[in-house]
Amino acid sequence: MRPIGGLMMVLGLAVGATVHAAVTDVKVIANPSVAASSISAAELKDVFLAVRTSVKGTAVEPVLGRNGPAHEAFLKEYLGKSDVALTTYFRSLVFTGKASMPKALDSDADVAAYVAKTKGAIGYVSSSAAAPGTKTLEVK
Amino acid sequence: MRSIGVWTTAALVLGMAPGTAHAQQFSLGNVPMQVHGFVSQGFAKSNENNFLTMKTRDGSGALTDGGANLSAQFTPKFRAGAQVYLRNVGDLGNGRFELDWGYADYRFTEWIGVRGGKVKTSLGLYNDVQDIDFLHTWALLPQSLYPVDLRGSTIGHIGADVYGIVSLRRAGELSYTAFVGKRPEDPEGGYAYGLSTFNRYDSYAGKQQGADLHWSTPLEGFLVGGSFLNQQIVGTGRRVSNGAPHREESKKDQTMQFYGQYARKGFKADVETRRYIRQQSLVFLNRMINSDTHGWYVSAAQRLNKYLEVGGYVSRYVHNSRLDHSLPNNHIYDNVLTTRVDLSRYFVVKVEGHFMDGYGAQDSIRGFYSQNNTGGLKPKTKMLVLRTGFNF
Repeated sequence: MRPIGGLMMVLGLAVGATVHAAVTDVKVIANPSVAASSISAAELKDVFLAVRTSVKGTAVEPVLGRNGPAHEAFLKEYLGKSDVALTTYFRSLVFTGKASMPKALDSDADVAAYVAKTKGAIGYVSSSAAAPGTKTLEVK
Repeated sequence: MRSIGVWTTAALVLGMAPGTAHAQQFSLGNVPMQVHGFVSQGFAKSNENNFLTMKTRDGSGALTDGGANLSAQFTPKFRAGAQVYLRNVGDLGNGRFELDWGYADYRFTEWIGVRGGKVKTSLGLYNDVQDIDFLHTWALLPQSLYPVDLRGSTIGHIGADVYGIVSLRRAGELSYTAFVGKRPEDPEGGYAYGLSTFNRYDSYAGKQQGADLHWSTPLEGFLVGGSFLNQQIVGTGRRVSNGAPHREESKKDQTMQFYGQYARKGFKADVETRRYIRQQSLVFLNRMINSDTHGWYVSAAQRLNKYLEVGGYVSRYVHNSRLDHSLPNNHIYDNVLTTRVDLSRYFVVKVEGHFMDGYGAQDSIRGFYSQNNTGGLKPKTKMLVLRTGFNF
């Protein structure tokens, strides 16, 4: 039984390590022109689902990641949608004229650079990613 | 010849998407603009009965549609755009270009906005997106509620909408749309085709009013809702038999639809039911057409990975609820299995099997037409549908 028990323990540690490695903290960043320093989870969801176009009087533009751990974590934690479901959601709006497809960029660095240079932009990156020229929004 | 228009659109759409197939984004002055498009091509083969005016008994590739749109976001609250669309489904559509939608939209706040122009109609879960093949698991949406041949009767209106989302905080949120307008003409649609043995229509259109309300509940992924459509339709033309003038007017034309959806973690289940009550006066014949049709479906689909999704649905349509439902000319039942393969973010392929029972009456004008089933209609039909599409 001992070899099996040891094997189970190793497998359990491996799974646990994998799960822990897959969880990535994500931070919400904004262009300095965005007046707010914090945003509610509901407001954040509305911005990224094209329901809301301003936060505390500032016109805002959502910027999505296209893939990666930060993108997956943001979708799961704040939007409750998978990448496929989010794409379908926006395409249903675009092809009925109700919204434009939001900007989607490939990497944290690309997202950070776009947010830094674009008035009103709000995006998300890994919490450890550098995002010069942006400010972090606290999500309440 | 009708396919030339369809493939011209395909070339136009594909030509606007060179290389990477990303949406074309550009600015006119300070105004961000976007261009998007799609094309889909299908093939259907049935063992009995030709379906949707296609020659499916022989195998038919006359299942083509496409569209392209241009939109502009003038300010964060004000946008405008338009989409052209054309289709060829058997003897319907005939590659005729139409304005699918074209309107201006001003959103005051999250809870109220207005739109004016030609607008897609919110009716149930999928009415306004029923043409957009790549949005759906299915090659054909449940025909009990979303008949391809009768698309023109509900797809859009020329008028104005008021809409919005109201937060209920911990109780979820309510989404609403209310509209008034005019139903556009649909000369290449199933209604004109189906009645062409009786009447040649000059016009078949009229006023519409409606509303949709749905509740995104606190249970994540679960929503319920209802829609209502009221119409005052006037049809004018001439009788085929003797050339005499023909006129018909709605005394009552109401559609009520209820729906629920649960979607979470790649799984999606839908249930919808529709009741359509119609009292149509044939003015010069001094006759009244009364119908009370019911349709419903239940569907479930599971996305297995980013490339593959499988699912199925059960669809039931009864033409006259007051008569025996089991009569083949009073129902169309359809059991369906589908596999969807996303070869990329922009290119999708579907394989779908239909197991149908019944064919509905001639005046149900849905699915099976006597004009292209001249040998008579058989009670059961099996059909394979393949469909592929590209979008950007």
